[in-house]
Amino acid sequence: MSRIKRFFRTYRPFTRAGMQEMIAYRANFICFLIGEILSAFIMYFVWKAVFLSSDSETFMGFTMEDMVVYLFITFLTGYLTYSDGSFAVGEEIIDGSIAMRMIRPCSFEMCFLFQELGSRLISVSMIFVPMVAGVEIYRYAVSGSVRFQIGYFLLYILSLLFAYMISFYFNVCYGFMAFFFKNLWGTTLIKETVVGFLSGAIVPLAFLPSGLAQVLNLLPFASLSYTPVMIYMGMYSTSQILFSFGLQIFWLFTMYGVTKLIWRSAVKHLAIQGG
Amino acid sequence: MRRYFRLHRIFIAQYLKKLMEYKVDFLLGAIGLLLTQAIQIMFLGIIFSQIPALIGYTFPQILFIYGFSLIAKSLDHLFTDNLWMVGYRIIRKGEFDKYLTRPINTLYHVIAENFCVDAFGEILTCALLLGYSIPKLNLPFHWYTIPLLIVVVIFATLIYTSLKIMTSAISFWTKASGHITHMLYMANDFAKYPVSIYNKAVQTIITYVIPFAFTAYFPASYFLTGENPLFCIGGTVIAGTVMFALALFVWHKGLNAYESAGS
Repeated sequence: MSRIKRFFRTYRPFTRAGMQEMIAYRANFICFLIGEILSAFIMYFVWKAVFLSSDSETFMGFTMEDMVVYLFITFLTGYLTYSDGSFAVGEEIIDGSIAMRMIRPCSFEMCFLFQELGSRLISVSMIFVPMVAGVEIYRYAVSGSVRFQIGYFLLYILSLLFAYMISFYFNVCYGFMAFFFKNLWGTTLIKETVVGFLSGAIVPLAFLPSGLAQVLNLLPFASLSYTPVMIYMGMYSTSQILFSFGLQIFWLFTMYGVTKLIWRSAVKHLAIQGG
Repeated sequence: MRRYFRLHRIFIAQYLKKLMEYKVDFLLGAIGLLLTQAIQIMFLGIIFSQIPALIGYTFPQILFIYGFSLIAKSLDHLFTDNLWMVGYRIIRKGEFDKYLTRPINTLYHVIAENFCVDAFGEILTCALLLGYSIPKLNLPFHWYTIPLLIVVVIFATLIYTSLKIMTSAISFWTKASGHITHMLYMANDFAKYPVSIYNKAVQTIITYVIPFAFTAYFPASYFLTGENPLFCIGGTVIAGTVMFALALFVWHKGLNAYESAGS
């Protein structure tokens, strides 16, 4: 028990620092958020035009209502599970301050995690409720009945938490790329595009050829966005939900293990260089 | 003027030397941009596998507009990328003093200092899209088409650059404005699709307030149909000129307000 208490006492200041940073740079955060929402709206207009031009009520099994929910919940999921770890780790590797991490009496990725949780808390409190409420009001206005289901919603939140943790460890791993490449902007852009595609954030995986979609469903990237969104929309059966939670937990442990492995060998590598 | 052209050559040569140090890194930026565009186009491909035309536009027409939107965007990206750094770092870290002590125009100096080869990812996508779509479209062609195209591209690029100058110049007052440039930059995606897919409010904003529609859709639609040259081409020239004049004004106001960062 005291170990857990000590753990939280160690890392709580990082969370506070993360929150303060977020509040200090709130203008940055709000502009960034508006920019991202704009791109969601562009997609909304594109889909509206698609449904206007189509003879059928559905597009590969999605109605316009489904598509709007998909777009905005995907946006929300992507925003909340976004992790800055790869940039933060990369920058520290490039400017050498990662060496400081090794002499501190705390775990290096836990410091990042708790700091980021602080900033995430602020953004969750600002965007989560308005976004979900907006989507549900839209659904109600279109269909005339309340589509919100508390059960799926709670499962979505659970899945979102797993998604964030997978995203966090994946990003920390990816940040280690900075040992090899200096163009963080380029590596980040590649990562975001590829992950965006593989996770179904750009095109729903259901729209892809079925063989490809099945493979992508098993990869860790689907767990980042597609899985939670499908759960929210109530598109998964009970067995599919159970299976996808199992998959999320599997990928979380895998990413965690890989991070530990890379970190251990990175420490050795740096030691050879003389720190 | 000749002096500035000579200087620009020296700046680019200097930059290319720096580039040689990080060859792979250059490729990473270009590959990233190429991939981003490729996935967007695949998305359009999936849409058009289900519908014959998007509110009256066929697949090659949409690709033409999309490709056209990348001309101005990539040229602006290639030549003026350093403006981002004004809003993100240069002012905040007090590095701007350097530019004030040099005997050349500050705005020119900031822009010329960096030459962003990452933009070749976009240029390549643009070339592929136009190369694929143009043979499939029966575009009207006259002796003046090419000169008009060159004029339009210059002024469309000016729209982009001017918006970046203005948003970067905000940092003369606020010390940092990279996030504002970013927000605006996300909005330029509106230009990639025909304006008729948007509602009236969005159409008005991207035509008259932040004239992104003149960087792509309007001029592209003229080259597609040959209709409305006065509005499509003239509008681009006017929008580019007005934006650039505004940008120079804001930049000079900002220079006067600039006080170096303490640290």
